[in-house]
Amino acid sequence: MEKIGLYLGCLIPTEQYAYELAIREVLPELGTELVDIEGPACCGAPLRHINLSLTMYLSARNIALFEKEGLDILAPCPYCHQAISEAKDVLDKNPTLKEKVNSYLKEEGLEYKGKVKHYHLLDLLHDEIGTEVIKEHIKEPLEGLNIAAHYGCHLIRPNDIPRPDDSENPQKLETLLKTIGAESDYYNEKLDCCGAHILLNEQESALTKTGQKLEAVQNHGFDGMTTMCPWGQRMFDTKQDSAGQTVGASLNIPVIYYIQLLGLAMGKEPEALGLHLNKSPVDKLGSKEED
Amino acid sequence: MARIGVFICHCGTNIGGVVDVDDLVKFSSELDDVVYAADYKYMCSDPGGKVIKDAIEEHDLNRIVVTSCSPRMHEPTFQSVIEDAGLNRFCLEMANIREHCSWVHKDEKEEATKKAKDLVAMAVRKANTLEALTSFQKDVVHDALVIGAGIAGIQASLDLANTGKKVYLVEREPSIGGRMAQLDKTFPTLDCSSCILTPKMMDVARHPNIELLTYSEVTEVDGSVGDFKVKVKRKPTYVDWEKCNGCGECGQVCRMKDKVLDKFNEGLGKRSAIYVPFQQAVPLKYTIDPSKCLMLLSGKCGDSPPCQDVCELGAIDYQQEEKMIELNVGSIVVATGYDMLEASDMYEYGYSQSPDIITNLEFERLISSSGPTSGHVHRLSDGEEIKSVSFVLCAGSRDMDHKEYCCRIGCMSALKQAYLLRDHMGEDLEINICYTDIRSFGKGYEEFYRRIRDGKSNFIRGRPSEINVKEDGKLIYNIFDTSTQKLLEINSDIIVLVPPLIPRNDSSELSRILRITEGADGFFLESHPKLKPSDTTTDGVFIAGCCQGPKDIPDVVAQASGAAAKAMGIISREELESDPMIAWVDPDMCVGCGVCVEVCPYSARELNEVTGIAEVDEILCTGCGGCIAACPSNACIHKNMTKQQILRMIDEVI
Repeated sequence: MEKIGLYLGCLIPTEQYAYELAIREVLPELGTELVDIEGPACCGAPLRHINLSLTMYLSARNIALFEKEGLDILAPCPYCHQAISEAKDVLDKNPTLKEKVNSYLKEEGLEYKGKVKHYHLLDLLHDEIGTEVIKEHIKEPLEGLNIAAHYGCHLIRPNDIPRPDDSENPQKLETLLKTIGAESDYYNEKLDCCGAHILLNEQESALTKTGQKLEAVQNHGFDGMTTMCPWGQRMFDTKQDSAGQTVGASLNIPVIYYIQLLGLAMGKEPEALGLHLNKSPVDKLGSKEED
Repeated sequence: MARIGVFICHCGTNIGGVVDVDDLVKFSSELDDVVYAADYKYMCSDPGGKVIKDAIEEHDLNRIVVTSCSPRMHEPTFQSVIEDAGLNRFCLEMANIREHCSWVHKDEKEEATKKAKDLVAMAVRKANTLEALTSFQKDVVHDALVIGAGIAGIQASLDLANTGKKVYLVEREPSIGGRMAQLDKTFPTLDCSSCILTPKMMDVARHPNIELLTYSEVTEVDGSVGDFKVKVKRKPTYVDWEKCNGCGECGQVCRMKDKVLDKFNEGLGKRSAIYVPFQQAVPLKYTIDPSKCLMLLSGKCGDSPPCQDVCELGAIDYQQEEKMIELNVGSIVVATGYDMLEASDMYEYGYSQSPDIITNLEFERLISSSGPTSGHVHRLSDGEEIKSVSFVLCAGSRDMDHKEYCCRIGCMSALKQAYLLRDHMGEDLEINICYTDIRSFGKGYEEFYRRIRDGKSNFIRGRPSEINVKEDGKLIYNIFDTSTQKLLEINSDIIVLVPPLIPRNDSSELSRILRITEGADGFFLESHPKLKPSDTTTDGVFIAGCCQGPKDIPDVVAQASGAAAKAMGIISREELESDPMIAWVDPDMCVGCGVCVEVCPYSARELNEVTGIAEVDEILCTGCGGCIAACPSNACIHKNMTKQQILRMIDEVI
């Protein structure tokens, strides 16, 4: 993949800066040029249960903007990626709604065709760039590290629309971890929710979910946890302390984006990958490695 | 000169409530060649038939159009009516204004009437060119073939053989018995499955009219109803069954003893490379598994193969070869049974993660006294005794991600297992049954369910979201009980999944060989869901048992007897009347290219050696129409469905 349009959504540019930094640092070196375009707005997903047509319109508009530039889309946020997948699925099956959405888009001179492809980092790295190419770029394999994989619910569900990996038994992230030299044990809580989606209304329940999963990861003896989702990262990394307090556990587990791990294995400077922005003790990973 | 009568049926309000019948009668009577048009509330009734007969006499009608339901329903009825009135039965044309019109357009009455008029006009245009055809008689072969020797095939064979007819019973495993032989007890009466099955198996073995062809498969079927030619592949058993007396010494000395996964025991036990599937096998003859026998794989088994050394009868024959035999039968009963959905396909149920998560059929073998553990249920991972067991019903059935349908035996079989476990292991065993709805619909089933739901076992209404294996190897799952609205976390020593019955993995291949249809769920499709449950789309081929859809043993046996009676209806006749609506070749048009000979799936075509043109074997031709589409010279004609007739019909409406 030589060129791809970057669609960051809302959470990454407003809070999860490290994710963006690492993506911009790593992908070009793997041969994928990132293109920013003007105009994309919210993916619509948070409105999904209130107004489906509006959600479809917002996603269709984003897709149309990239389509106009002839660019495939990289949506590193699973929530945005799911919104795009769903919009394509719904609009392809419902010509009436597609027509309606296009009548709105016409005001901006846009048209939704739905021909452009869209990727998350998971399938971009695993299926498009491929593990062989990644391996060629590895300078410092992360040997000796056992990293827990956290996919994020929206990345793999629901299974009636196309998702980058299997809903019940996803394996691509584990494969990617092995590609950079790390191990990744199976753990029973692998597919458990991070709690992000009930954080606003049920803070304690949300942090309980976060805490339970982190505690399980810590008790299993993992060296760290890796995510592919800014929402999961926000819960497990940023809110690790309060999650620990909620479940009465002393949590001290490094949580790191996979793309940051990949960057480290490629020999990048931690600062360039935004590691200083992670709030969990990610420096522990480095010290373990040197042992 | 055609004198056409049009008869329009109200079908109560089915048609009359939507289509303006009075208007339709008026319209029909004004069409060319129509001399009479009438309507009646139920044309298929006796008085309705009389309306037609009287009109034929009074108005000297010679072509009849009946405008009613699908010809699949009542074409034979009306053919008989006009035959009674002295007309040729093929001078009838039907217009379907029920399924094709009033049922699908019930909210658009005006449009429906307009469409009904078009349909009648088309039928009338065709009717005035209908030819009078004559059926002819063909001889019937009086033998029958039954494919599959589970309880369905056994029952059908016995019923057929008891009437004095010869039956070939083909089974692909070395023994007959099928799935029922694998079961321990049967619900709701708790009869021992093999105790009621083995007498029937013995009856089959002893019956003078049944020729048993085990370890054999049907590979090709030609011909048609009353006269099928069937090719059967007899796989080599590498044991001369004429000599083998089933003593079993070969199995004891086999170098692969206790090393080969035992399919009959669902892979829970081990057997030798030379084996009988189970001790009550019929025939009790040994078979060598060619994928495991060292001699057959590498040509060497120690210094000399011990099975050969020990067999005093000299029955071992490594040189045996596959044989093809040909059968000629009048009718076929298909009873090929079912497979189970692979539990490992449902990752969330953890089947592939722990040996303590087993399927219902594996459980049958575990609790069976003839099974690999002699009926002792324990944890397969560490051999520990069990203190708790959970059954997960609908594991993959009634589930849009897997199979939408109900497996129809899961609930009752799990209730039966619960009964047996309580009986064997006492009050202290914790039994959890995770169900969606308990479907105890059969005779005596609800009463049985009440006995089990006695307060001693836990019934949880829901499905586990995910089954996990804990660090110590024990199992744990979350389940939301929809009857108490509580999320439960349950520990269990073993978990039994009850997956759905699915069609045999090669049932598509068999449906192609037999030219029968599969339904959307992959099971063989019956001709009519209510009225022809054993018939198929191919005349003379009948289906019985779980190859048609999941069902319990009583239903299987009933359907098998039904299918046998249907087959008897054919093979007990001396002659069959053949359908004259078949292909015909216009000798003036045919250039003898031979395309029709190649496309004909029924071998009903050949080129005349003298004239060089194609000829139709009227006995073999089924009127499928393949040659008509293929003929490049327009020389092939389907009688009473000619290209000209179809074009006239199309002309009428455009």
